[in-house]
Amino acid sequence: MSKRTLPRLLQTPAVLLLLVWMLVPLGMTLYFSFIRYVLNSLRRPEWTTPSLSNWRGFGNYEFVLKSKDFILAIQNSLLIVCSILFLTVILGVLIAVLINRAFPGRGFVRVLLISPFFVMPAVNAVLWINMILDPVLGLQGIAVGGINDLVDGLRNAPLIGWFFSLWPELEPISFRATQTSALAVIIMVTWQWTPFAILIFMTSLQSEDQQQKEAAVLDGASAWSQFRFLTLPHLGRPIAIVVMIQAIFHLSLYAEIEIVSRGNGNKNLPYLIGEFANNNIGAASATGIFAVILANIVAIFLLRMIGKTLME
Amino acid sequence: MGRISLENVTKTFGTVEVIPPLNLTIEDGEFAVFVGPSGCGKSTLLRLIAGLEETTSGRILIDDQDMTEVPPSKRGLAMVFQSYALYPHMTVRKNIAFPMRMAGIDEAEQEKRINAAAAALNLTDYLERKPGQLSGGQRQRVAIGRAIVRDPSAFLFDEPLSNLDAALRVGMRIEISEMHNRMATTMIYVTHDQVEAMTMADKIVVLQAGVIEQVGSPLDLYHRPRNKFVAGFIGSPTMNFITGEEATKRGADTIGIRPEHTEVSTTEGMWKGTVGVAEHLGSDTFIHVHDTGLAETFTVRISGDIAVRHGDTVYLTPQPDQIHKFGADGLRIE
Ligand SMILES: Nc1ncnc2c1ncn2[C@@H]1O[C@H](COP(=O)(O)OP(=O)(O)OP(=O)(O)O)[C@@H](O)[C@H]1O
Ligand SMILES: [Mg+2]
Repeated sequence: MSKRTLPRLLQTPAVLLLLVWMLVPLGMTLYFSFIRYVLNSLRRPEWTTPSLSNWRGFGNYEFVLKSKDFILAIQNSLLIVCSILFLTVILGVLIAVLINRAFPGRGFVRVLLISPFFVMPAVNAVLWINMILDPVLGLQGIAVGGINDLVDGLRNAPLIGWFFSLWPELEPISFRATQTSALAVIIMVTWQWTPFAILIFMTSLQSEDQQQKEAAVLDGASAWSQFRFLTLPHLGRPIAIVVMIQAIFHLSLYAEIEIVSRGNGNKNLPYLIGEFANNNIGAASATGIFAVILANIVAIFLLRMIGKTLME
Repeated sequence: MGRISLENVTKTFGTVEVIPPLNLTIEDGEFAVFVGPSGCGKSTLLRLIAGLEETTSGRILIDDQDMTEVPPSKRGLAMVFQSYALYPHMTVRKNIAFPMRMAGIDEAEQEKRINAAAAALNLTDYLERKPGQLSGGQRQRVAIGRAIVRDPSAFLFDEPLSNLDAALRVGMRIEISEMHNRMATTMIYVTHDQVEAMTMADKIVVLQAGVIEQVGSPLDLYHRPRNKFVAGFIGSPTMNFITGEEATKRGADTIGIRPEHTEVSTTEGMWKGTVGVAEHLGSDTFIHVHDTGLAETFTVRISGDIAVRHGDTVYLTPQPDQIHKFGADGLRIE
């Protein structure tokens, strides 16, 4: 036995396990995506058991591509993921920089800031859609109502009344509606995941070299220049990590979409898979393969972009 | 121009007074070195001058202008840090360009100054590298380059060579001295290495616990230390202090004799002792002598070699005109 054989042999079980772990689900998805396979069919009972004799070729893919929700699901997947990434990274960097300075009660503020991350996604969605975003009973409805009442009162005031009478009555936004349900999901997930970004960025900021900052101060760098030329490049890697991890998580959002609008006007690929999987496993599997492809494209694209802009 | 004066400057951190009221003037073009034991406030003093720390009270004048409240970037000073403090994501070129970029100097001028600095510091081949790809000495030169291009009225160095190995340190020491001769700009240099202090300084400022013990030229400090602290701090190996009968005989509380001002003989002399350790350096020999009845060990330094070994008996004779006398208050007696 050569020197290399033994270590290889010892590694084999782990490698095999990982391969099986990855390849079996992927293989089954691929297999199902090329056959006719439904859970329930009175007309064609033979389709209810997976078998090669039900081979459909790219039929499932065609079916998915032509289904009316597919383009919407792709668009929405991208819209939701990109918006959340954009917002969490910006908010995360801003808040992390803000609370990186010493101030009284900093420890407490940090705990508060991290806490949204420990709320379950479904609970988070229920809280936001019912208690905050609801146009009548939620904070939004109350706030809009309050502003309207205030403006109403000021309309009759002397001198400035004419100015306020020009103001329109504000309408609360219904976030369960077709046009806005994706927005609601973006808001609530951003709220939940910004703490994750803050946590990672804060850790990284603590390791920033203070003498570099002092050197920059002496070199005449303003606070903005220090942020732009020292802090942001320093955060390049953590930003890449936050973006990658979040992209993986948010491409598979489900609970929020289900709770906000039951997919009404707002579907992403996982939600579409869920809908197909009510009966048509073949189409669901084909959608799954599309999701895998989309995830890879997104990952490559994001990594390139971050690498270019931040690492100079 | 770069005349720096401190008037009654104090600094307290919380309740700890690190710098008690301190007055000091550094003339234009002077190479001033701050030395002192660790924690005596050298860095703090330098940072006060740079403006990185706020003074608790007192005034800092640069060219007779009150700079106490002026932000660091407007003081016209450049600082070189012990850790180099290079910007790790920028190339050497961008590092050196950074202060000029912040000052809004046009590209052509930037380019000219970068090339001049790079040529002077042997950095031309490394301009496109990142700091992480440079050796310690090269990084140090980049940090100096970044300071030079600003054309400051004074340079501040905080132990710039202490992260370098011994050979490189000697080389950089000479480079910085040459740079000072060439540019004739005021330089303030913090170190706890007294060889650096002695060889580079026009003026040495010896600090202890934030208090200036003595200000003077290197040889001034060597020949006429104002008190016991300075006498013990300047010179290597350190001065031998003798108390008791030998001191009172000479009208002092303590007398100090430098190792190099003692003659050694194997046959006759004023004081008798046994050799503890003899360190043969070739050019010099340091002999640590015990059992003299004067002090625990008495160190002598003779040039050249002498054939003595551990346990041998030797006789020591101080050069009579090189005995420093100190009173009970630690101050020098003439
Ligand atoms: N930010 C600070 N807060 C509280 N105390 C400080 C601070 N900075 C320095 N000190 C104290 O001030 C004293 C002088 O520190 P300083 O860094 O000036 O010493 P130093 O002479 O440069 O020493 P070294 O040779 O070790 O660098 C030390 O006792 C240190 O503990
Ligand atoms: Mg220091």
